[in-house]
Amino acid sequence: MISPFLFAFCSTVGFCIIFHVPRRHIIPASLVGACGWLTYIYSVASNSGSVLGCFAASCIVALLSDIFSRVFKDAATIFIIPGILPLVPGANMYYTMLAILDRDLDKTALIGTETLLMAGAIAVALLMVTSIIRLVITLK
Amino acid sequence: MVNQIQKKVLILALQAGELMMKSGAEIYRVEDTITWICKACKIPYVEVFATPTGIFLSLDSGSEHSDMHTFIKRIKGSGIDLDKISRTNHFSREFANTDLTIDDGFRILKEIADRKPYPLLVRILGAALVSSFFALIFQGNISDFFCAFSVGACSYILSLLLDRLDTNLFLRGFFCCAVAAFLALGLISIGLGSNFSSVIIGSIMIFLPGVALTNGIRDTLAGDMLSGASKGLEALVIAVSLASGVGMAIEVWMLLGGAF
Repeated sequence: MISPFLFAFCSTVGFCIIFHVPRRHIIPASLVGACGWLTYIYSVASNSGSVLGCFAASCIVALLSDIFSRVFKDAATIFIIPGILPLVPGANMYYTMLAILDRDLDKTALIGTETLLMAGAIAVALLMVTSIIRLVITLK
Repeated sequence: MVNQIQKKVLILALQAGELMMKSGAEIYRVEDTITWICKACKIPYVEVFATPTGIFLSLDSGSEHSDMHTFIKRIKGSGIDLDKISRTNHFSREFANTDLTIDDGFRILKEIADRKPYPLLVRILGAALVSSFFALIFQGNISDFFCAFSVGACSYILSLLLDRLDTNLFLRGFFCCAVAAFLALGLISIGLGSNFSSVIIGSIMIFLPGVALTNGIRDTLAGDMLSGASKGLEALVIAVSLASGVGMAIEVWMLLGGAF
């Protein structure tokens, strides 16, 4: 459990540096990324599939980012963008490409569809969580 | 008759919007920022239409004899700079809530626009961190870690070089990933790593269009169809370029008789 958390934390620190996250926000933003990745690993380990895993993880990322954006008084985007980047299906994209090189079109379609659905799940989760939070705040 | 103050407000708001759009902000944030700045200067009628490639802004002072002013700002090139988004966001709120003058606004915006990213070496180290730790996440061992560290750093340096040469989106992704895959295959064939998949996945992660993709789908679902389509297409082009770069590198490697 410790090592995936640590790995995801360190790689999110890298993304924070590339995308110029303000220095005081690097640690919280990397925490968001690591928690999202941990959620993903757990969902996949409990057999709920990678698409649902992405969805759950992005919900956690959006929720944490909203909390941090209120605590640190900054735009939620600063935490969301580094947070979701570990979830973006780069590995699946690579496996899709390998399947194309193998001339295995069935496998290409299978992994390719999953890649697209994972990307869609991230975006839908972010949108849903932010809209629900906004709704709750307006209703209060 | 052109009202001088209105014109200045218009330019200030457009500059703030351009800065945010070039730093990769969402459409609604850009539109809100521009509207806030204009409302803070007591302009009753403001209409903004922002797309990733241009911003359209109309102002009217509301009196019977006033002319309506419309400006179009073409936006070229984009990157991601969260520091600039954060600062412009703060600036627009500060401008709306306190009585900063318009000239103060220009000065602050210029300071934000001139802010540099982290030093070059630190950024290269960041890219190396991303690729090396992703190699570990995807079943790499310690030798793959160091392999991915150097491959990630090299391909990031290449992407910065290509950026400076103003190459287009597709070529940049293609060359960076092709070089990364070649280096990974080469390093592993001389015995410096064991799992080339994890090294290649690690170095792809640096260039993935994650932001364009999620922002694109978000914009579409939020009703900004035009920018949604344009960002989604950007993400697709980058993804295809990365995949074809890696694919070509592996194919050529096999043609040359390398082990796979």
